[in-house]
Amino acid sequence: MLNATQIRQVIEERTERRHGTGKKVVDVREEMDRLEDQGELIVHRIRPENRPVEMKTLFGWTKRIPTNRLWHHKSCGQCGNIPGYPSSLLWVMNETGRSYLNEPHQTSCTAWNYHGTATSNPVALAAVAARNFHRAYETDNFPLIHCGTSFGDYKEMRKLLVENAEIRHKVRDVLRSMDRDLVLPEEIVHYSEWVQAMTPEIVARQKIAASGVVATVHEPCHYYKMVPEDAIYDDAVYQGQRPAVPTGILLALGATVADYSTWYDCCGFGFRHILSEREFSRSFANLRKIRPMVEEAHSDVAITSDTGCVTTLDKSQWIGKAHGQPYLLPVLSDIQFVALTMGAHPYKIAQLHWHAAPVDRLLDRLGIDWRTAKTEFLDYLRQLKSGGAPELLHPPREDIERFFAINKGQVLPDETRATPPPSPVPVPSAGRGGR
Amino acid sequence: MNPILVLGAGPAGLSAAAELASLGAPTLLVEKESYLGGNPTRWHYSLLAPDLRPAEEILGPLIQRVEHNPKIELHTGSLIARAEPEGKGYRVSLQSKDTVQTREVSAVILATGFDHFDSRRKFEYGYGHFPDVLDFKELEGMIHDDKVLRPSDGKPPRRIAWILCVGSRDIQIGNPWCCRMGCVVSIKQAVEIRQKHPEIDAYIYYMDVRTYGLWEDLYWKSMQEYGVKFIRGRIGAVSLTEGGKRLIATGEDTILSRPTEVPFDLIVLASGMEPGTGTKEASELFHVPVGPEGFLTPKLSDMNTIDSGLPGIYFAGAATGPKAIPDAITEGMGAALRAFQYARE
Amino acid sequence: MSVVAHLPRRVLSLVEEEAPDPPSMNLTGRERMTVSDRTLAEQMFTEFRQDPRHHEFVLGCLNCGECTTGCPAARFYDFSPREMLQIAQTGDATTLWDAMQEKIWACCQCYTCNMRCRFGNDIAGIISVMRELSVRHGVEATRRTLSPFNRSLTLLMTVGTQVSSDMIQPDFFRDWGPFAAGSEQVWGVSAEVMRKAIPLDVLQTTTSSWEVSVQTSLELFRIYEQTGVLDMLRGLDPDLTEMLVDLIEERREEFTEARERYRTEIERMHGPVATFSG
Repeated sequence: MLNATQIRQVIEERTERRHGTGKKVVDVREEMDRLEDQGELIVHRIRPENRPVEMKTLFGWTKRIPTNRLWHHKSCGQCGNIPGYPSSLLWVMNETGRSYLNEPHQTSCTAWNYHGTATSNPVALAAVAARNFHRAYETDNFPLIHCGTSFGDYKEMRKLLVENAEIRHKVRDVLRSMDRDLVLPEEIVHYSEWVQAMTPEIVARQKIAASGVVATVHEPCHYYKMVPEDAIYDDAVYQGQRPAVPTGILLALGATVADYSTWYDCCGFGFRHILSEREFSRSFANLRKIRPMVEEAHSDVAITSDTGCVTTLDKSQWIGKAHGQPYLLPVLSDIQFVALTMGAHPYKIAQLHWHAAPVDRLLDRLGIDWRTAKTEFLDYLRQLKSGGAPELLHPPREDIERFFAINKGQVLPDETRATPPPSPVPVPSAGRGGR
Repeated sequence: MNPILVLGAGPAGLSAAAELASLGAPTLLVEKESYLGGNPTRWHYSLLAPDLRPAEEILGPLIQRVEHNPKIELHTGSLIARAEPEGKGYRVSLQSKDTVQTREVSAVILATGFDHFDSRRKFEYGYGHFPDVLDFKELEGMIHDDKVLRPSDGKPPRRIAWILCVGSRDIQIGNPWCCRMGCVVSIKQAVEIRQKHPEIDAYIYYMDVRTYGLWEDLYWKSMQEYGVKFIRGRIGAVSLTEGGKRLIATGEDTILSRPTEVPFDLIVLASGMEPGTGTKEASELFHVPVGPEGFLTPKLSDMNTIDSGLPGIYFAGAATGPKAIPDAITEGMGAALRAFQYARE
Repeated sequence: MSVVAHLPRRVLSLVEEEAPDPPSMNLTGRERMTVSDRTLAEQMFTEFRQDPRHHEFVLGCLNCGECTTGCPAARFYDFSPREMLQIAQTGDATTLWDAMQEKIWACCQCYTCNMRCRFGNDIAGIISVMRELSVRHGVEATRRTLSPFNRSLTLLMTVGTQVSSDMIQPDFFRDWGPFAAGSEQVWGVSAEVMRKAIPLDVLQTTTSSWEVSVQTSLELFRIYEQTGVLDMLRGLDPDLTEMLVDLIEERREEFTEARERYRTEIERMHGPVATFSG
């Protein structure tokens, strides 16, 4: 039997694990520094050439977001289903003159599989994370995580590797057996945080006004429900009660962000469900997300910042008309929306033709001439079909890289390539009255 | 004798000041707001549990004893900006609208009270988003004026839900404690409404019902005589019906282990009690330790909640933790006695 | 392709491999367990309670039901995260076994329950621990549930990305509409050309999300071998596992050949070829 003092201690220890006041959650970054001093791991530091921008997290801690020399940790679902997601991001980086490395020497985080089928375990997940971290480290580019689930998983894995010595040592042994070492990045950074950090430069290059657009935001679960203390908050966005991304950039671009009652609900992706229980995914997406977005908020577009969410919300709607839910609300990632307002080609760059819910009405509202763009794109497809060379955002990988993760150093777009921000202030396009 | 400072003029502070005056002690009563009576006045509390007497009947006489009392120097719209020990007591700077004056006091009673939890922090209930989701302190005023109407369309409700423990017993928002009042006040509100409007259905969603002590009687009567319905489980989502006219509360009935989804005209949140901003300020001014919850810590919590263990400093009311109004008034009396003893020694 | 194959659950639950125990009082209405099921269930339950994560994820429970209320899966399935936590906290081998028959797979892993739980439990995490156990021990119901995932598991194990554009065949994803797959009917060009129109070279493939270098995929497989993932998979599907091992063997050969072919370049960029391992 425990006495009263012991019981109190147990309760205190437990409450300290997840205390909302901010004083009691251990800052894993401090512990990481201590372990580096002991030679247990290497911390991949953010350096001045990464041009970091400071942000605040849930508990008011400072998080530094690197904006330059970035290693693209791509998302398997984005690249497979929504390729306009990564291409818009790289295009915006080119426009703003930020350098990066996009290479074939990356695996996914494998957490989609883990959350879907559990055919993995924490040691394996941590080792996969650490392998990718090490690859970024050896190229001297800071990892930028495209996917919300990878972001959530890597936050969890960094915490696990810091807090659990046994797993840390196992993972380090695995890595050393392949000439790698245990490296943890100083911050786990989601691309939407990069977008938020780049707000001034994006807004300076805005060519198309977004003021006529009413957007609803779906907040990706794994961005802020997993390891909540690493998510970015800002007093200017819902008084700091909700994550600052991706709402922040939409407000900065002049869009109206409309609230709706189920904003905190998941999209229905379910990892396993999106493939083998699609009747669940689409029912949830249409009833719990799309319907309130349309009926309560009267939105023109749903904006989110994760792979699974764009997929589920977008692909689930087409069949909705069979269920009496003919909404067809366009669903875009924040970065696609950003690229469009910066003047990106809707098909060649934003790759909107992969989306299941039509975006034509949204493009009309933004004043983007999609009919001409579509003709251009069809021409381009014909050229490719007859053997024409594809247009690329950066020099292609060398042939040797099909096999080897050669460390060729950082060579990709140099900063002089940036397009200068246009001088005139964007003029609002045909908005709608009365909203 | 230098005056005794009473900080805060809610039920506890009013009671302390009134008792000090009756003991013949000069009293300096300082209240941040422009009115007397604290949260009950601010939110127009209606009837008080357990006897369902109007709040005015309890607080009115207290306020009368304090106002225009020659022994009590009353400063509303004022606060203590600085405090430092001076002899047995303290030297404080009293800041009013345009003036700052330095005063010496022989003892201090901290009756700085609580704040209602801001229900927007539990966003799943849609408070601040749907006009027909109310905080129970707002309903209290409506009941007081007998105008229980839906803010969205001004129509009388047919069915009302109360959700208990909003901002209490919840590690996610950092408030693991019980507010002690949410259950009894919600049940009391349901009874009041059913008394006047038996056509309105009343549902209470609870995880535990803590009508402790003699208040249990009200809980039983609410079912037996007033037909209030109790469902064990939490509402986790509030949405709109098809036409957008009514609210739908979705939850799990944890006794039947099955989902529940009920349309309501009004949803009322029993928001918890948090340490008042005045309590935080008082703790810094007088170097009083606070517990992990942010309430002032008495010297021996197991013995009484009045003695701070610091020279000349005493507590009354919800500054040390959630309290009912009679408890706060009783503590005000006790604190007055202890402060008077200290000042006279 | 079997990705979307989804057998009705009612039919599947009729499968029984051995004679059941003699009838006993069955007040809960649970499915009866065979003797070997019971032994396995007890072994798994012991492992479950000994898993260090159990102690870390399960703190206590007020049974308030807030987790279930916010749970997307609970809206559409006979599933409740509260029940899962109760099994973890106060359950026994039978309740764990019962949950493994179907319920643990209803969870969406969205972590809403974790964010809501007033006690700070890691409910999504403890469900994953249950799932891992059922995979490792090859529980029959789990094999059935995961049988549509052979294709994505193959991709995952060999190149470490879980989808490829050629998985999204219009016939199998008819409910996604004509535009989702960038199909030939709509655009008049093949899937390969559609991928070529993406301005990122490593995405111009239809067989995985992006082109993954051979070295990277071999490193990934080494992780799977050394961390027990391959053994887990063997428990679930031995045939698939052997096929994966063969596939990787081919990639290793490919890698060794390429190392010879690119000897000069490797030595220029990296140093001696001998130390360059995949």
